[in-house]
This record gives sequence, C-alpha cells and structure tokens, in this order.
Amino acid sequence: MAYMTTLRGFNCDDLFKFNNMRLFPYPLALQYGIPFYLQYLAHWPEYFVVAEAPGGELMGYIMGKAEGSVAREEWHGHVTALSVAPEFRRLGLAAKLMEMLEEISERKGGFFVDLFVRVSNQVAVNMYKQLGYSVYRTVIEYYSASNGEPDEDAYDMRKALSRDTEKKSIIPLPHPVRPEDIE
Amino acid sequence: MAARGHVQDPNDRRLRPIYDYLDNGNNKMAIQQAEKLLKKHRDLHCAKVLKAIGLQRTGKQDEAFTLAQEVAGLEPTDDNSLQALTILYREMHRPELVTKLYEAAVRKVPTSEEYHSHLFMAYARVGEYKKMQQAGMALYKIVPKNPYYFWSVMSLVMQAISAQDEKLSHTMFLPLAERMVEKMVKEEKIEAEAEVQLYFMILERLGKYAEALEVVRGQLGEKLTSELQSRENKCMFLYGRLEQWPECNALSRKLLLKNPDDWQFYLSYFDSLFNLIDQSWTPPEEGNHSAEGEVHCSVAQAIGFVEERLASEEVKETRPLRGPYLARLELISRLRQRGSPDEQQLGEPLELMFQYFVKFGDKPCCFTDLKVFLHLLSCDAFVNRLTEAVPLGPVGEDGVALPGDTRALQRHLGAAQLSRCLGLQHALSTDGKLALIHELRAHYRHGLQFGTSCLKTELQFSDMYCLMAAHVYIDLWIETGKEHVLWQCLGLLEEGLAHSPSNAQIKLLLLLLFCRLGAFEPVVDLYSSLDAKHVQHDTIGYLLTRYAESLGQFAAASQACNFSLRFFHSNQKDTSEYIIQAYKYGAFEKIPEFIAFRNRLNNSLHFAQVRTERMLLDLYLDADISSTLEESVKNMSLCPEEDDIPWDSLRDNRDLDVFVSWNPKLSKEHRQLSLEEESLWLRLRSLTLRLAGCLSGLCHSPQAPPPATPHAQRNAEKSAENGVASKPADMQPLLGQLERTLGQAAQFTDKHQQYPFLGPPPTRLPQALANGSCQCQLVALQLPLHVQELETSGLDQSAELQAQIANLFKSLTVQLQDMLNKCKGDLLEVTDGRCRAQPSLLENLVFFVETVCVVLWVSSHCSGTLRPLKSSLQKKKKKKKETSTVTPVVLSGFQEFTASLQTLLSQAVEQIQDQESSLTALKLEALSLEGLPQAEVKDTFSCDERTFIKAAMDKVQSSYLRSLQEVGDLLRKRADTLKSLKI
Repeated sequence: MAYMTTLRGFNCDDLFKFNNMRLFPYPLALQYGIPFYLQYLAHWPEYFVVAEAPGGELMGYIMGKAEGSVAREEWHGHVTALSVAPEFRRLGLAAKLMEMLEEISERKGGFFVDLFVRVSNQVAVNMYKQLGYSVYRTVIEYYSASNGEPDEDAYDMRKALSRDTEKKSIIPLPHPVRPEDIE
Repeated sequence: MAARGHVQDPNDRRLRPIYDYLDNGNNKMAIQQAEKLLKKHRDLHCAKVLKAIGLQRTGKQDEAFTLAQEVAGLEPTDDNSLQALTILYREMHRPELVTKLYEAAVRKVPTSEEYHSHLFMAYARVGEYKKMQQAGMALYKIVPKNPYYFWSVMSLVMQAISAQDEKLSHTMFLPLAERMVEKMVKEEKIEAEAEVQLYFMILERLGKYAEALEVVRGQLGEKLTSELQSRENKCMFLYGRLEQWPECNALSRKLLLKNPDDWQFYLSYFDSLFNLIDQSWTPPEEGNHSAEGEVHCSVAQAIGFVEERLASEEVKETRPLRGPYLARLELISRLRQRGSPDEQQLGEPLELMFQYFVKFGDKPCCFTDLKVFLHLLSCDAFVNRLTEAVPLGPVGEDGVALPGDTRALQRHLGAAQLSRCLGLQHALSTDGKLALIHELRAHYRHGLQFGTSCLKTELQFSDMYCLMAAHVYIDLWIETGKEHVLWQCLGLLEEGLAHSPSNAQIKLLLLLLFCRLGAFEPVVDLYSSLDAKHVQHDTIGYLLTRYAESLGQFAAASQACNFSLRFFHSNQKDTSEYIIQAYKYGAFEKIPEFIAFRNRLNNSLHFAQVRTERMLLDLYLDADISSTLEESVKNMSLCPEEDDIPWDSLRDNRDLDVFVSWNPKLSKEHRQLSLEEESLWLRLRSLTLRLAGCLSGLCHSPQAPPPATPHAQRNAEKSAENGVASKPADMQPLLGQLERTLGQAAQFTDKHQQYPFLGPPPTRLPQALANGSCQCQLVALQLPLHVQELETSGLDQSAELQAQIANLFKSLTVQLQDMLNKCKGDLLEVTDGRCRAQPSLLENLVFFVETVCVVLWVSSHCSGTLRPLKSSLQKKKKKKKETSTVTPVVLSGFQEFTASLQTLLSQAVEQIQDQESSLTALKLEALSLEGLPQAEVKDTFSCDERTFIKAAMDKVQSSYLRSLQEVGDLLRKRADTLKSLKI
C-alpha cells in the first residue's frame, strides 16, 4: 500500500478544488449539494477526511457518520461517500481512508461499520470484500432511477468492529429489505 | 426541552389538515381550511399564520406579511404559532423578525429553556454575536448545562473574528473568552472534547502557543480523541509556531517511523533539521534530546534516516511505499538549494528518478510525483533513459511501436508526459510535431482495445493520448496560424468523446476550442454534460459566461447566468442553517469556516459578473422593446446610486488549472493580470449598467408607472427617500469614473501580454477598445447631460450648446458606421478549399448591437426632452404667425441623426442577412481537410475521421447561423423602436 499523501480534515475551501475529483467520473463517487457537505462538517467533522498530494491536488476523500442505537447494539460507523481521483487510483488510498474511518468508529465504541453499494458495481463490491466487508443484506431499489437507468438494488455491506466480539452484527439477513425498512 | 403533554392538544388535531395541505403544496386548500377553522375558533392564532404561509406561497406576500404581524403583535407563546411564524419569516427572508418573536416569548415565559434556545439560534442566524453571548449565559443560568456556557464563549470568539478593530479582539473579546474557559478549567467542569477544541482555538487566536501546547499535552488534551492524530497534529503545528525545532524534528521522526508514507512529516522533518543545522544546535550531553525524544541535527543523520526507510522498503514483500523514494529526491533538492555537496551521497538524481520510473511507472500518479523534481536533471538524457524502461512491441507498419498491455501503456504515457513537461515536444519542428501527432494518435487508437469492456462512465485507458495529441495540435496552430490543424484537433477530440463519453477533460477542451472559434451552440450541451454542481458554477462557470453573450447567443447567456445566480442566492440560506447546527453539535472550529465560506461566495468575482451581465442582458433584450427602460430598471430593482460590488474584497474563485496540462503551471503574474483585466472589464460593465439606470431615472413624465414588484417597491421607496428619481447630477460622477476606467483599461491593454492558451480566457476588453464600442457608448452616455442643460437654457439662447449637441449626434453616426464596417465579411471564409473561421466579426457585431441599444436609450431620452421644446416653439410660432423656416440646429441635427440611425440599422440587418445566406450556401463537404499535403502523406484521413471533422465544422456553421439569427432579431426589434424617436 502506497498512498504518499497528507490526510487532513476536509474544509470548505476544499470545495473549490473539487474539479480534479468531480470532473472525472468515478464509480465510487456520489454527489451532493452544499447543504449535505455542510451538514456532515457540522455534525461529524472527524469523519470527513481528505487526502492531499504533495502538490496540493485533492486525491480523494471519505465522508461518514456515526449513528444507531447503542442499546440495540446498532451504534455504528457509516461510510456515506468514498472517492479517489483517477490519477491516484491503484495506490491503496481507498483502503487507507476506510481503515481510518474504522479506527474512528472503534474509538467511538461502534459495533460495526457499514456502507451501501450498487449491486452492479462489482469493482467496489470486490474492493470492500477485500477490506473485510461482507454483504449483510440487499436493499431493493435503494438507488432511484436516473439518466434513463432503472432503479437499482444496493448491498448493505458490513464489517464487525472489536466491540462486537461475536460478530453478531454481520450475520447476513435471509431476505432482502425495502428502503423504507432501514432507518 | 420543555416537557410536552402526552395527551394530544385538540388544536393540533384541528390544524393537522392545514399542515397536510401545505406539505402537499395545496396552498389554496390550506388557506380555505384555515379560514374555515378561524370562523369557529377566532383565537386560534396558528391557523392565521398557516393561512399566511399559504398566501406567501401563492405570491400574496403583502397579505401574508400583514397577517403574520397581526399574530406576532400578540406575542404568542404557543409552540405551533412560534414555529409556523419562524417558517414563514424564513421563507420571507426576514430572519431578523424571528429574533423579535422569541425575545417576546422569553420575556413572557422567562424560564423556558426551549424558547431561550430558539432565541439563541435566531440570533445565530442573523449573526448577532453580542446578543448570542447574552442569550447563551441566560440559558446557562436557567439550565446549567456546559454546551450553553460554551455557546456564549463561542459568541465572544465570533465577536473577536468579526470585529473591525483587531486590537479590540485581542485585548477584550478573546481574553474574556479565555477567562471564561479558564474558570471552567479551574472548577474542573470541562466535559467535552468540543470544549477543549474551543479552548485551543482561543489560545491559538491569541497567539498563546506555549499555553496551547500545555493544554494539548496535558490532561485536557486527552479529550482530543475524535480525530486521528489530533494531539500530534496540533503539537506539530505549535512546535512550528514556537520554533521548537528539536521537538518538531523528534515528533516528525517518530511519526515517520510509524508511517513512512506521510508526506507532511517529511517536510516538517527536513524543515526542522535544517533549522537546527543553521542554529548549530547540539543535543544535551545527558538526558532526553527533547520532550519528544531523539533529535536529528546533521545532514549525515538525515541521509541515514532516509536510507533506513528505503532499506526497509526494499526488503518488504508487499508493494513498496513511494514516500521514502520521494523523500530522497526531496532531500537532494533541499541540499542542492543550500549548495551542499552532500547530495552526492544520496546518488545521481537522473539515475534515482529512472529507478523510480522503473518501480512506479505503471501508476498514473508517477508523472505527478516526478514532475516536482524535474529541475534536478538535464532533460534529453533522462527521457532517452526512460524509454529503456518502456516495454513496447515491434515497430508496426505505420512506423509506431505499441504497448502490449495497460501497464506498458501507462509507462509509455508516463514517459511521454514527462517529455512534454520537459519541453521536448515544444522544441520539435513543424514536421516533428506532425510526426508526434501521428504517433500519439496511433497509441490512442491502439489503446482503445484495452478498454472495450469499460462502462460508459469509465475512462478509456488511452484517453490521455488523445488529449496530448490535441495539445500538440494546439501548439502547431499557435505556431503556424494554420487553422486546418484546429479542425483536425476538433475532429480527434470528437472521436475521443465518442469513445469515452464521460471524459470531462475532452469535453472541456472541446468547449474551449469551440468558444475560441466563436461557436457557442455546441458548448451548451458540452457544459451541461459536465453536470457542474454548486461551487463549480463559481469555479468553472466563467468558461460559459465569458463567451455566451459575446458570441451572440443571448438566450443561452441568460440561462448560463441563471445557473450561477441560483447557486449564489441559495448560498446565504444554506450556510446559516449549518452554522446553527455547528453550535448544536459543538463543531466550533467550523463556525468561522462556514462564515468565511459564505463570504468567499458572496464576494466572488464571478457572482458580481453574472449579476451585472444578467441585468445588462435583460436591458439589451427588453428595455424600450417590450417595456420602457424605466420599467425594466425598476423590475430588476437596480439602484444606480449604489455600487453593490465589493471591490476591495473581490475573490477570484475561478479554477484556472481545470485543464489537464503538461505545460508549465500558470504563473502568479498571469493570474494577477487576469484578475486585473476581469475587474477592469467588470467596472466598465457595471458603470454602463448604472448609467443606464440613471438614464431611466431622468424622467420627463411626471407620472411614473407604479412599481411592479414589492421588491421594486422597496427600492422605489428607497430612491424616494433619497430625493425623487435620479438627476443628471448623479450621472456626472459615474461618467467621470467611466472615463477614468477607460483610461486605465487602455493602459492595461497596451502593456498586456497574452495568457497561455489553456490559462484564463482574455476578457472582451481588448476588443471592446479596439472596435470603438466603449468610446462610442461613452459619448452617447454624455449626451443626456448636454440635453439637460439645453432644457434649462431653452432653444433661444443656446446656439453654441446646440451646435455641440448636433456634433455629438454626427459623431455617434460616424462611430457606429465605423463599428458596423468592422463586422463585414464571411464568418466562415473559404479560400483554396480551406475553411477559416472569423469569430471576431461575430464579436464585433455583438458589440455593435450592444452599442446600438445604449445609443437608442439615450436617443429616446433626447427625443423626450426635445419634443416639448419643439412643440412650444411651434406654439410660439403660431402665436406670432411667423413663417420663418429656420429649425434650431439641435432639432434638425436630431432628425438627421435618427434618419441615419434608420439607414444604419437597415444596413446592418441587410449585412447580417447576407452573412446568413452565404453561410447557408457554404458546402462544407467540398472542403479539403488535409492541410499540408507533403508533410501529411501518412495522415490521410479515414472515413470515420472525416466524419468527425465534418461534424465539428457543421456544429460551428450551425452555431454561427444561430448567433446571426439572434443578433439579427434583436437589431430588427431595435429598428422598430426608431419610430418613437420622432419629434
């Protein structure tokens, strides 16, 4: 793994540097409006981290949050977005960013980390599997149709953290669920 | 929060249907339902507010406001009314009224935690920091919870940040905030990480780094756990500030041992090392080197350290890290900078960089990594050496050796990129460049086979070759001025886009080339397929707005401005919401950041430009056509006496590095010059706009039409306060400014050099000066002053003034004719079977039509003044029964002027029609595409390639036709208004 970079908290000025990242298509990327980014910065700044190359270029970022009920052992870290610019792919940067998010979630006492991914995005699914994630359940038509593409299902993938000693949180559900059934 | 009963309030049940209607957007039913409810329950205030929301949403702002104030006047204390009013005021963009609402509520229910907290947030929304500080303390007194106390502390910090007087911040607000936190520390009441963060923020702003270090390293620092390495990062920052180089060095070293790939710590390691060397620092003989452990203070130690890192990479079984290898180059670079011979101990840069290429050359980032260190070596030898490490197949029929897989492709591409970056491609002769293009195109097409299974959203492996070939085409075009290479370049890029429909860089380059060719029509689709989001409207919106209007595509120009304006206007509302959230979640460091973000957008150069251009465009398209200039100006609530552009804090948010490029980075000087140019042009445009606004205020008719919107009404009230409409006197200073700015602009363009092709686009300024439109508009805008003078002095005693005015009329005619002459010619000129685009004709034509608009507004004003003068003269004549036929000079001058305007406009319309028909008649298929037959024997174009080139040409042709049509339409409409100038 070689990422050779500087990891630091995302700040608003980074939004102005987004062209390198945003103007290239990337399968891992999700796009949001300003309010969405600001909401994450206001609520979970530690979970919003950017990787910067020595020349100041944005290499990638991860954005996540902590949520769920502790009592029901559902308190967990969630990966909202993970994105690496094409130029900086194949360096293990995504893995490094994920590792960091897991570490933060460990410190917060989370039981697991989870994320949603398009079932068709085989590259991403495989990458997450390599990082120790497994499919916990399928969410039917989680991604709504756009650009003439039909609705698409998502995998809810999970990785247990050390607090979940018996790895109960990742036992796969036998049946798919609908988006309205997940909180 | 205040406890709420579990039993449902019957009022909630009654109001429910109204809420539902509002939620579903059924405002009419909501209003009806509210009225019904109010008949039965007259005191159900909330129903009134909900009705007001319905009214507001159906455009009845005034009624809504009256109703809301009725309820607010009762100072309600029920949740429903308060919340509904809050929503309503927010929709009315009157957040300051929410503060009044809750001020009343806490007065009536002084112990309500909920209302106090709403009051705090209401203040936060409008940035009333002092009142926030008080509200926070009041809250803390009612309910002693830590967050409330620290809200109050943060409000002090905000007072410090926003204070104009920095001394006040440092002697009053910040020390007060510090003392407030210290009190809690002493009482051992610090609970949350956010509180420590805030303490750190205060100390940092006070420059009390030593104290901050104590906090971070001490017990309180243990709370800093959310962010990874939060304490270490803060310590590192503080060591740097305090110039504690031993600690800085030791900590960097420790962190690098943990993670030998974190670039920032190599930098701090080297920085601190050389500082220690310069200070001849030596470690103490006994005990620890520093609070952070072992310190390196000699070049030998640093070389040893880097080599150890490298050695451990070499023996690793997993893929090696790049950090240590680049650290070695960084150390060489720094030693060389210091003139130290020690660099030789680390090896020969050329050899080391070659080895790096061998190791990492198959990674796309290899080029970016090495780019920084290219200054360490001489170029030719390096590139030759690199080719050794690029495995290619045998030379094929077309003389090009090709890679066998994507890794080999990436290596070859990397070598090509380095070679371009080192200037080797630029140094080639014309033939050399053509051969290079041939080679790059072969690589591009060959590489497509590796990406046949790529999704539409993925890039092709060989796309970069396509882009690089395009760049060489552009070099050739700039060098030779031969336009056929540009068409070939467009064809290649169109081909590239067909194979890789998501490649934004190909789209961007196509977009730029079409704009430079004067064809805006294809740009609309290209830009929209980039799917630019929010901040990007600010960072790359300039690509669109620079060209749309100047190329005569007015509808597209309006739309482009609207995209950007919509984003800027939502910014204000969006950010205040999250400032409040940041208080709630204790993300204190984000609060000043959000505010700075909001300011950065509000002060954006692009924002000021689209604001101004949008209004000018509206005036050009409408004023005196579908409505009078007065109405148009009022409708856009333009206040000519106010300059709404924050000149001193204008922020250039343009992303001028958006194009992939292997040329030298855009220099600071060019950035600065471009900003200067943009500002000058903006000033000219904004002055023109404000002068047009003034002109509209010089009313002749005593009864002005009623204002069209409440917003305009507010402005109308404002201008009424400032003393009825504008006076000619208002124009004088603006004209002075316009003249001065024109002078500066002329000076600027004289000394100005060109920007790099992929750098900032030049503004319209140089052309505006060259074709005389600025000068002509200035003369036109000066006329009203003279005419006003004439109105005062009357026709009898003003021979000299009249002659002067008549001369100005003549001069305007001459200048306009001159401008029109500069638009003559074919937009696509075909000679010897080659096609040449002449976009400057189109741009001149747009300047002409803009100037005609200004001249006609002024003329309309003149006719309004001269008409009564003429009729009173005729009355006098009738009375005296004079038969003298001598018409005063100014009147005959004006009549001649309008007559020649008539001729001029017909001439222009005809000229455009001719241009249209010659464009339509143009048969592009008949053109030869090959440029230099001799040199390009190898490159005879395939059928496909021809199709792409033709497609590009067709787009340009169609775009020109559309521009001509839009400009022609506008001119015809303007010509129709000439009738009304009769006196």
